[in-house]
Amino acid sequence: MTPFVTMLQFLLPGLGVTVSVTLIALGLGGCIGALMAVFRVYGNPVVKGLAVSYSVVVRAVPVVVIIFILFFVISAFIDLSPFMSGAIALGFASGAYQTEIFRGAILSIPQGQMTAARGIGMSKAKAIRCIILPQAFRVAIPSLINEVTLVLKDSSLVFVIGVPELMRRAQYASASTMEPLLAFGTAACFYIVLTLVLSRLLETVEKRFAVQF
Amino acid sequence: MTEFFAYAAMALPDLLQGTVVTLKLTAGALVIGLVIGLPLSLLRVYGRKLVQPVCTAYLTVFRGTPLLVQLFVVYYGLPEIGVSFSRMAAAFITLGCNSGAYQCEYFRGAIQAVSKGQMTAARGIGMSRFQGIRHIVLPQALRLVIPAWSNELIAMVKYTAIVFLIAVPDLMNKAKILSSQNFAPIQTYVLVALIYLVLVGFLSLVLHGIQRKLAVPGLDAGMEGR
Amino acid sequence: MKDKPMTRPVLRIENLCKSFGATPVVRDVSFDVHPSEVIVIIGSSGTGKSTLLQCLNLLHRPTSGRIFLEDQEITASGMNEDTVRRQMGMVFQEFNLFNHLTVLGNVTVGMTKVLGMPAEDAEKKAMNELERVGMADHRHKYPAQLSGGQKQRVGIARALGMSPKVMLFDEPTSALDPELTGEVLTVMQKLAAEGMTMIIVSHEMGFAREAADRVIFMENGRIEEQGPPDRMFTHPESERTRKFLSIITTGNTDPPIGKAT
Ligand SMILES: Nc1ncnc2c1ncn2[C@@H]1O[C@H](COP(=O)(O)OP(=O)(O)O)[C@@H](O)[C@H]1O
Ligand SMILES: [Mg+2]
Repeated sequence: MTPFVTMLQFLLPGLGVTVSVTLIALGLGGCIGALMAVFRVYGNPVVKGLAVSYSVVVRAVPVVVIIFILFFVISAFIDLSPFMSGAIALGFASGAYQTEIFRGAILSIPQGQMTAARGIGMSKAKAIRCIILPQAFRVAIPSLINEVTLVLKDSSLVFVIGVPELMRRAQYASASTMEPLLAFGTAACFYIVLTLVLSRLLETVEKRFAVQF
Repeated sequence: MTEFFAYAAMALPDLLQGTVVTLKLTAGALVIGLVIGLPLSLLRVYGRKLVQPVCTAYLTVFRGTPLLVQLFVVYYGLPEIGVSFSRMAAAFITLGCNSGAYQCEYFRGAIQAVSKGQMTAARGIGMSRFQGIRHIVLPQALRLVIPAWSNELIAMVKYTAIVFLIAVPDLMNKAKILSSQNFAPIQTYVLVALIYLVLVGFLSLVLHGIQRKLAVPGLDAGMEGR
Repeated sequence: MKDKPMTRPVLRIENLCKSFGATPVVRDVSFDVHPSEVIVIIGSSGTGKSTLLQCLNLLHRPTSGRIFLEDQEITASGMNEDTVRRQMGMVFQEFNLFNHLTVLGNVTVGMTKVLGMPAEDAEKKAMNELERVGMADHRHKYPAQLSGGQKQRVGIARALGMSPKVMLFDEPTSALDPELTGEVLTVMQKLAAEGMTMIIVSHEMGFAREAADRVIFMENGRIEEQGPPDRMFTHPESERTRKFLSIITTGNTDPPIGKAT
């Protein structure tokens, strides 16, 4: 048991990095996704085209390729830590998936909501911001929680640009202790616990919402 | 721009070589995943209570951890207990087992989407439970699963992109070599992105065509994949 | 009872009981079914009519009691349920046509996969059955392309294809729009006239009057009263039968009992 506990302790800082990268990426992806979804549904042909190409292209390319490209592009312009570049790249990738989530949610809001908002004198932008998006966000919550698990798992990919997250720590540990099974197995345990917690959360939320709607 | 094209012309043959490996990995993973996922889904729906925890454990492990962890456990970890694979075998096994877990869930969803009355009617004309599954439920489930399965195929093309980390000579591996030889990471990975884009676009078109061909009226309830 | 020669019964039900867990649903039901007899079972929703029917072809295992198909006790232990079922045709309220098969495929699948008939013979026989229900022209369509009445006629053809000794119908017209029930009832009437043995759960009183040899009124899992339709509908002995009949015959087109469960 002690080697396992030692390994847990050694990997713990990596867990912090993994969670931070995931949260930053999710936040960034959420902003991009919401914006692009609004572009896709309400935008003029130019922004709509932009949003569609972003979502289609990014979703067609492996996340690890996007991480590489953005990492090298970013480092050509500014001096950013691998941690930040990685988080931004993951957020950029997640944004494309979240675009689809938000788009579906917006489209599920009945047409009458917009009409009613315009009817009480709201501008289109205001109606989107104050009436449509809050409702769409609630509809999107289950898919968003699912996206959290996907981004959490994808966050292991920033390993390739040297971010000291769980997998990188596990690799150090495996090299120094010569016990790769213990090292990577322990990392796997961390991920399983996190995803189980998230799926529990998802169940709870789905039950709550099932009653409400 | 011309510089980029010149570089592309130089890099393309190598990259295409890697692309072939990527496609082989994708196909292999899907087949292994099918061989694991379909029986597993049947166990999940029709199996005894006793086997359920085993299924659940399998699904939790392969759906709850990053593919990268799975790959490293298989390739670096298992030799520690005397089970070692070549790079290529480790890649096939990991991708296949991972896809198996996802495919199991798609098949399960599709089987459960076939209404209970179908089985009752099958039993009603004297089919055994097994015959009912084989001749009535599964043919319908297999059609219902096509959209999710197509998405799994597309997802798998992209998921193979991490096997270069155990030095399998796929598209990404070739890209890594080219980019460090030529000090041109951005061009290389943009090129790689374009190749994936073409690949995924082409496969999507083909799959859509197949879906239209196989369509049976009233049996096209869409199910999404990952 | 209409005069029938006293032949050996096709189906003999003795003290049949069925419980789900601790809840008794069918209680001590006994009756004989003679060759070419047409029996219509009526009774309000939830009284166990469907359960009884599904016990007859062992889709539900009876809790106790015995069922004989001709001379064979089908409730005996060691009896192969599948062999029993292929000798009885069942028609469902919700049709339950196989969605992935064409009309022709729906009728042939049992013959080829269960009876092991060669495809060619199965097709020939299937076409015969489809002619009988007037659906031969639609043989290449899929269930989703048919109206409810057409679906049910295919459901009947599918059951006929297995050359059953008895046909069981569970509210075959209750899921249909009123204007579509006629075509199905006509087919059933034709089958009755041809001498098919049939047990039908239905609230189509007109049909029962025309085609039934015997009407069984079920209440609370028991047979409350039975007799020929003329007597049952005009002079029911039981107060409960009278009450039930008055509810469904007062022109109330949407009775609380019409719905199957
Ligand atoms: N599989 C089952 N498990 C438990 N209870 C059942 C089942 N099938 C039917 N029942 C119950 O048995 C009763 C009789 O049902 P059913 O035979 O369908 O009645 P009917 O066809 O006369 O409307 C109902 O109360 C129903 O809830
Ligand atoms: Mg019923």
